[in-house]
Amino acid sequence: MERTNRIVRASYKIMWRRMYREDVLCRSIPGRQTRQYQSPSHTPTTMTDFKGVVVDLRSDTITKPSDGMKKAMMEALVGDDVYREDPTVSELEKRMAECTGKEAALFVPSGTMGNLISVLGHCEHRGSEVLLGDLAHIFLYEQAGMAQLGGIQPHIIPTNPDGTFDVDEIPVRLRYEDVHYPRTCLVCLENTQNVCGGKVVPLHWIDKVGEVAESVGLPVHMDGARVMNASVASGVSLERILRVCQTASICFSKGLGTPVGSVIVGPEKFMYKAIRLRKVLGGGMRQAGMLAAAAIYSLDHMVHRLAQDHHHAQLIAKAISEEKSRNVTCHPDDVDTNIIIVNLNPEAVTPDQFCERLLMVSEDEIHETGDGGVLVKVMPWTTTTVRFVTHLDASLDNIQAVITKLKYVIRELDSIH
Amino acid sequence: MADLAGETMNGGGGGGGEIKVGVGGKTRVGEEGGVGVGAKIRVGEEGRVGVGGKTRVVDLRSDTLTYPSLGMKTAMMEAILGDDVLGEDPTVNALQERVARLLGKESAAFLPSGTMCNLIAVLLHCDRRGGEVLVGDNCHIYRWEQGGIAQFGGVHSKSLKTHPDGTFSLTELRQAVRADNIHFPRPSLVCVENTHNMEGGKVLPLSWLDELSVTCRELGLPLHMDGARLLNASVSLGVSPERIVRDFDSVTICLSKGLGAPVGSVLVSSAAFIERAKRLRKGLGGGMRQSGVLAAAGLYALQHIYPRLSEDHKHVQIIAKAVNECVGGAVTCDPSGAHTNILMLTCDPARITPAQFCTRMEKVGEGEEAALGERVSCRLISINDTTVRLVTYKDISLDDVEALVKKLVYVIKGIA
Repeated sequence: MERTNRIVRASYKIMWRRMYREDVLCRSIPGRQTRQYQSPSHTPTTMTDFKGVVVDLRSDTITKPSDGMKKAMMEALVGDDVYREDPTVSELEKRMAECTGKEAALFVPSGTMGNLISVLGHCEHRGSEVLLGDLAHIFLYEQAGMAQLGGIQPHIIPTNPDGTFDVDEIPVRLRYEDVHYPRTCLVCLENTQNVCGGKVVPLHWIDKVGEVAESVGLPVHMDGARVMNASVASGVSLERILRVCQTASICFSKGLGTPVGSVIVGPEKFMYKAIRLRKVLGGGMRQAGMLAAAAIYSLDHMVHRLAQDHHHAQLIAKAISEEKSRNVTCHPDDVDTNIIIVNLNPEAVTPDQFCERLLMVSEDEIHETGDGGVLVKVMPWTTTTVRFVTHLDASLDNIQAVITKLKYVIRELDSIH
Repeated sequence: MADLAGETMNGGGGGGGEIKVGVGGKTRVGEEGGVGVGAKIRVGEEGRVGVGGKTRVVDLRSDTLTYPSLGMKTAMMEAILGDDVLGEDPTVNALQERVARLLGKESAAFLPSGTMCNLIAVLLHCDRRGGEVLVGDNCHIYRWEQGGIAQFGGVHSKSLKTHPDGTFSLTELRQAVRADNIHFPRPSLVCVENTHNMEGGKVLPLSWLDELSVTCRELGLPLHMDGARLLNASVSLGVSPERIVRDFDSVTICLSKGLGAPVGSVLVSSAAFIERAKRLRKGLGGGMRQSGVLAAAGLYALQHIYPRLSEDHKHVQIIAKAVNECVGGAVTCDPSGAHTNILMLTCDPARITPAQFCTRMEKVGEGEEAALGERVSCRLISINDTTVRLVTYKDISLDDVEALVKKLVYVIKGIA
């Protein structure tokens, strides 16, 4: 086990050096985001002498297709979707249009492309501007696609801890006609709000945004990558949540477990533009029905079980809060869905160190916890927080192993600091 | 477009309608010549959609219609997966390595389409504002990619006249690469297409490619090959893909066309270029998660479908020869100009337009069944005022080709 620890430490030094170099290059923004966490090629998980459990809670994007889903993919009837002749893609799009209460839908390779197409589709004229939260995925994590590829300026509004922003900011920041100003063309929302911790934004707030946007002539787009989680957590239908949104982008490759893909929903006329944009961006896939079949399967089998992921997240949050640690904290009330943001005392431990510790296991630890030890992969999130995401490939047993590990590590940390 | 709601479905979903499962079933189209409500559905071993009717449909609109076989689908389902955005999908990594090796380059990136491969290549080669790419005026990048390089990259296209053999004049290229002048954009890249689609699947001569690369090296310009159908070129020439792209800085190669994979293409280049390509891929929205399911199909295709591409070329020759033998016909072609799996038919517009010809070929006319011995409907594409294109691929059997030939000859002879 000493060798194990040494090997793990060595592999982490390499990863740290890479991460820290990238950290220095990160711009300073409120709640500075650290680089996306990647396993070094020689992680402990591939070591033959580690006999314990490895639980990967870095993201729900790592979910793999189940046997039932694969069977559906195999049996799918397919055609050329660029010619719009794939019956399975058509069926998925029809179902998504129906369950969201929109006229049409379009299957795309990723949520990033879904959002990009939506923004480009809404803002067709040069000199446009989009209003969105400063912690929005579109703003932080899509490589500034709207600016890079669309020449569109993002105009950010400070985000509240609950994932919302002040609705009154919309008319204040709206550009009136002036030769100095770009033209505001869209308002974007995100639900669940990722950076704030998978928050379900309140329905009355969404409706208010819609009302205000409509009063000033602006459409609303929702980045609903995890809107299914929002729907399950709040018990509100997708159609109701999206009522004031003209368009929305919904991911299947996250908590719903499909290998690839997202869907945009919106008006029929918009979808025609979207098809063109999808093609020119290079998202026109051929026999994509195999991927669409996985999405249809997930609509039938994977939506309701999201509640389990939420429950698992609650278990983890509760376990951490019950430790009453001064160094590692989180509140179950802050956990709405499958994402947990854990706060760290920066004087005791940094997010990188905490993640590293969760990926190490000592002999004493194994003695105490039994079963060969537990390694947990999570994501350093900001300068003082770490993110955990529960998903279908992390069973209740896995979660309990994570809790055991967390308790041990927290107590170890509290005994030092 | 096929509307199959309520009348289809094998295994995967509900719906009524009669279902006949036949082994190795072909696609069949109902009486009216289209798939519709009330038609019987027949699903073959491969799970293809068909309508239980008596008409044989030979769909030659494109090799993008290739259907994943049972063997391919099995490989897809058995693939080991991971999150490719994190670089952790071993099947995608294996495919990328395999293709890079095949083309003799350092590295490769798996992308959702050839359009995205070309878009990324051009944007990366021309990454300073004010850049210009030199392309043939009849190439896919220039004509069929919605001007994406201009739309998203601000890249100007300077088109060069395409010769019927798919090449362009190197003299014209030299003249087009203008000196550094405040009026001129900055020439940053030269692109070629191999095989050349709109010139009829032409294989670019190796000697011309070699001369081109010498020219571009002198001019200090990188070279990109839109090799969507590169492997068809390689098979036709009997030259390795590595040799063909030896002097090219980047290459696009499609897996979803003649190679038969359901989705995807690969961009191939140096390790540094591919790292930048993966970054731009993410920005464009091409970052897929467990795309190993798609990559597995690509690996299967390289192993099992690539070796049989010459069959598709043989089928084109059979068709071309038969059309050629209809002397004085309104529709003609040049068999020696058909290098690979694409055949261009020239219509004399005074006697029949391409659109009319395509409609006629799709319809089953009066007395045709008696004359041909079966009902045959053929789908072709009208390219312009005088040209019809047909493309052969693995799902078009020799039987289908023979039926097509019978119908072609019958129809051509029937044109005044």
